[in-house]
Amino acid sequence: MAAINWGFAISRPRVIDVDHNNLRKSDEILLEMPELQSCIGCGACTASCTAGNLTQFNFRKVHTLVRRGEYQGAYEEMNKCMLCGKCRLLCPRGINTRGVVMLIKRKLGDF
Amino acid sequence: MTFFAPFCIPFIIGTVSLFVTIIAKWVSWVYYMPRTDRKLLRRGLFSMQTVKGVGEVVCECLLHRRIFRINPLLGYMHMSLAFGWFLLIVVGWLETVAYLGLEPVPLQGHVFFRYFATGISEHKPVFDFVMDALLLFVLSGVALAWGKRFYSRAMGMRRTTKHFLGDRVALSALWFIFPARLVAESLTCALYGGGGFLTGTIGRWMASHVNIEILQMLYEPSWWFYSCALGVFFVAMPFSRYQHIFTEIPLIFLRRYRLLPHEKASSLDKFQIQACSRCGICLDPCQLQQDLGINDVQSVYFLRDRRYNRLKLAVANNCLMCGRCEAVCPVGINLNTLRQNSRDRLRNIPDESRYKYFKGLDRSSGEGRVGYFAGCMTLLTPRTLHSMEQIFKAVGEDVWWADRDGGVCCGRPLKLSGETDSAKKMMQFNKELFYKHNISILVTSCPICLRVFREEYALRGIEVLHHSEYIARLMREGRLKLNNDGGRVTYHDPCELGRGCGIYDAPREVLSAVGELLEPKHTRENSYCCGGSLANTVIGDAQQLRLAQTMSAEFEATGAGTVVTSCPLCKKSIARGTSMPVKDLSEIVAENIAS
Repeated sequence: MAAINWGFAISRPRVIDVDHNNLRKSDEILLEMPELQSCIGCGACTASCTAGNLTQFNFRKVHTLVRRGEYQGAYEEMNKCMLCGKCRLLCPRGINTRGVVMLIKRKLGDF
Repeated sequence: MTFFAPFCIPFIIGTVSLFVTIIAKWVSWVYYMPRTDRKLLRRGLFSMQTVKGVGEVVCECLLHRRIFRINPLLGYMHMSLAFGWFLLIVVGWLETVAYLGLEPVPLQGHVFFRYFATGISEHKPVFDFVMDALLLFVLSGVALAWGKRFYSRAMGMRRTTKHFLGDRVALSALWFIFPARLVAESLTCALYGGGGFLTGTIGRWMASHVNIEILQMLYEPSWWFYSCALGVFFVAMPFSRYQHIFTEIPLIFLRRYRLLPHEKASSLDKFQIQACSRCGICLDPCQLQQDLGINDVQSVYFLRDRRYNRLKLAVANNCLMCGRCEAVCPVGINLNTLRQNSRDRLRNIPDESRYKYFKGLDRSSGEGRVGYFAGCMTLLTPRTLHSMEQIFKAVGEDVWWADRDGGVCCGRPLKLSGETDSAKKMMQFNKELFYKHNISILVTSCPICLRVFREEYALRGIEVLHHSEYIARLMREGRLKLNNDGGRVTYHDPCELGRGCGIYDAPREVLSAVGELLEPKHTRENSYCCGGSLANTVIGDAQQLRLAQTMSAEFEATGAGTVVTSCPLCKKSIARGTSMPVKDLSEIVAENIAS
């Protein structure tokens, strides 16, 4: 029976299942940069972001997804970063955000 | 007269191995050089620079003038070893010529002349005296070197380099060479007479106090020991720090031919890397060492690791690139460029699809022949931006605002982190933007941007100015009148502006017009880094803060009321370390515009 096109569809579930995600890379990242655990997700990094001003790039979102084991597209997204360093000056927790960008790229990229 | 004895063998083996290795190295480095560099080399070879280079070789490789300027005692130590040994060789050669005429003598005949000359009855006391004086000269250097190992502070160095095994072998051999020579020559004098005030006196003392049989028993072994020390040193030399003795000579010429390291690593870099003598002069200026106790990332260790292919990303990345070590390096190695191209080699991955979103982007506003590029950091310090607006308004300049409403970064932070190819895309974008808006002057208030505009962008027809230079020019032209109401201020030289671009006087000129300028202890070429440097992606927040606090203590000691700097990043960093008000140069100028 051919499916009837109602003009509507069911959204793909956007649940992050931490039990099923492979957190190995995420753990490695935390191990190398333990200060990431102090991130409060305030979004100051995203608010000040030079690349975020020009595109949809959202550092807080990418970082949070990577921490939860959602690596799909994270590397490409991180590549939008220009590494200008404004986020580092604003971070209330003093996280080395530029180091985080480089670390995520190193762990999730091919090098 | 035959010039051979069995004890010469270690020396001959050492010498042959030394010259074969050195020549093989030089040939392969030149062979693998980029083609454009080889062309420069060919062109430079027959120019005046070659003649001038010879002079520099004498001044630096033999006399060590630059070390003298940094620390006279250290300079004397290096000079006595290098120049003293050189003179020993030259005068030793003259001595053989004086005794034997121009008859061909093999190398070991010159080096061990005292041994072979025992049969000659004629005596030339002038040479005895000069050779002894030179030996004493070198020995004084060796004594200082020993002293420096045990207590470096006596030589004016807080720290000295930690060496690895290969260096220690070569170092020990070098230290033994001259005492061994003294003993061997003294024994010869004791048995055969002759010798000057040093070897002759010791020889006569030995002859009168020591049993002749013992002297005869020690005679051959002492020459064997001398020869072995030379042999071991020569074999170890090209593989240890002492490779610098022969590498510094071509380096001086290459630098004069404008063959400098590029943003991409190449075999040219080896001339620089292996010219490092690991003297350790770069250790003391390093703030990571001084304030944070990090002691394995300094230039000397970085170059060593890179030379032996042991360089780790964490070491390459852990550097402020403030340039304080480069400023004092006695060999004049381009340490920052080498650090940057190492990072490029370790983590550059060209990605064509990167930064596609730049296409068609233009958020600039305004019209004018003067362009203003705020830079990311200035956008984060809006007071600087507003002050610049006021200044432009006061002089009635029409300004094109490149990135007031968001723009693309200048590319230097990414380049410093090693992603050179991606940084090129940003540079290309900004360059096209500047040309599109037809500006003739580009003002920026960020030294990081300024440096990359000047060094990489090659903006033809556009004059790039830092805002301090621009304001100084406005004052000189009489377009900007300032009140001297700023009070007592102290000034911090940003690394990228001072050591990076050589701009020290323009901000001082402006500051003396608005207030009384008090210099901190470390200023101009010696100024500290604020710790916020974009080049370092390893140190954490607390460590950055500590660097800022050390520096701020010096500002507080000047008794000034305000700290002024001309870099938005430095402003942010200093403000965290001190309770004094910190202002950008443009702020204090905007506050004091005479109406």
